[in-house]
Amino acid sequence: MPKEILIVDDDPDFVETMEIIMQGNGYETRTARNGEEAFKKVKEKTPDIILLDIMMKTKTDGIWVSEKIRTEKDLKEIPIIMITAVNQDSEMAKFHLGQEKDMEYMPVNAFMEKPIEAKDLLKEIKKLIGGPK
Amino acid sequence: MEPKICNINDPECHLDRIRGWHGDLEANITTLIKNLKDIREHSEEAKTACSTHYAKTVELTKAKTRFTYEVSHELKAPLASVYNILNVILDGYLEKDIKKQKELLNRAKVRINDVIKLLNDLLIFSRLEEGTGEIEMEKINIDKILPSLTEEMDIYAKENNIKINWDIPKKLPYIYGNPELLRRVFVNIIHNAIKYSNPKNTVKIKTKEGKSSFLLEVKDQGIGIKKNELPMIFNIFFRGENARPEHKKEGMGLGLSLAKRIIAAHGGAIKVKSKLNKGTTVTLSFPAIQKKEK
Repeated sequence: MPKEILIVDDDPDFVETMEIIMQGNGYETRTARNGEEAFKKVKEKTPDIILLDIMMKTKTDGIWVSEKIRTEKDLKEIPIIMITAVNQDSEMAKFHLGQEKDMEYMPVNAFMEKPIEAKDLLKEIKKLIGGPK
Repeated sequence: MEPKICNINDPECHLDRIRGWHGDLEANITTLIKNLKDIREHSEEAKTACSTHYAKTVELTKAKTRFTYEVSHELKAPLASVYNILNVILDGYLEKDIKKQKELLNRAKVRINDVIKLLNDLLIFSRLEEGTGEIEMEKINIDKILPSLTEEMDIYAKENNIKINWDIPKKLPYIYGNPELLRRVFVNIIHNAIKYSNPKNTVKIKTKEGKSSFLLEVKDQGIGIKKNELPMIFNIFFRGENARPEHKKEGMGLGLSLAKRIIAAHGGAIKVKSKLNKGTTVTLSFPAIQKKEK
């Protein structure tokens, strides 16, 4: 069974192109458009890795998902790559959430900033979970 | 005052002189103390004014930082998707699927168009915000703007399975304004009403004429706005919880804040009444310059 990547982003074009790239490289994919949907899908079936957009504009954003996953005993080991649109997203998280959140302690394995170079992302995925099979 | 001359043998006279000096000295000291008190009070006032100013500057800087962030976000997200689309095609992922390639390229075109629209809106926004840029105003007949919109809006409504009920008299007043900006406001408000309606809803659009004002009312039966979100709807890039991307409502949250600024520049006002899941009524009012002129 090929390894499965859960792609979470509120931008449908971004999700679809990521799916094409990942499937083209032999991975299986599932997608979610907001935090809540992502968490539901992770609970239904544990993916091998999550590409998680920070999704500042949705009610349940990427930070929410990553924190929620890390509190679940069975899920906390899933590798997460957090994708940000603007590099100050982490700073702005404080603004949006109205509370101090230090991204250095964010429970994710890697950060990548948009636009994403497919080969860099594939390299990062390979480093975390290995090839598709 | 003439200095008092005393006889050398007149101690009383000397004592009087000394008493006089003492009195002057006392008066001087009292004045000095009063002056010092004044200075202290003034410096307290200056300190308060200074800290108020400082707090305001900090607030403004924060708002500016946030604004720059929001703008970069709104510009970068669509460009990142376009970048992905181009990469997918250039890297040959869709070599055998020309139809899909075309579909994605068309979407890239739409996204780039969105970015251009956003940039244009931002330019108008900053022009209005600074208050320095002159908006070209002229005497215009609402007749020339509203009826020309009906067809375009009806098409958009039909696509969304919404009906528009137009209640607009044949003769409309003249107002003083910029036709292009006013058109933009009307389109934005009607678009919003359609976008946030539920399928099969009706959007009612009517005009009213006051003694010296022209009113446009756009009423929908749509998803409405949460009470606690109402005060924020004119903030730049604000989007209500129901209006966010996961609910498939496109838009960036710039329209209303821009509309408010355009209306204000016209000496008009915008009022929004809304009930969650019941609908929203937006009323625009403009000073009319002449009543029902041909």
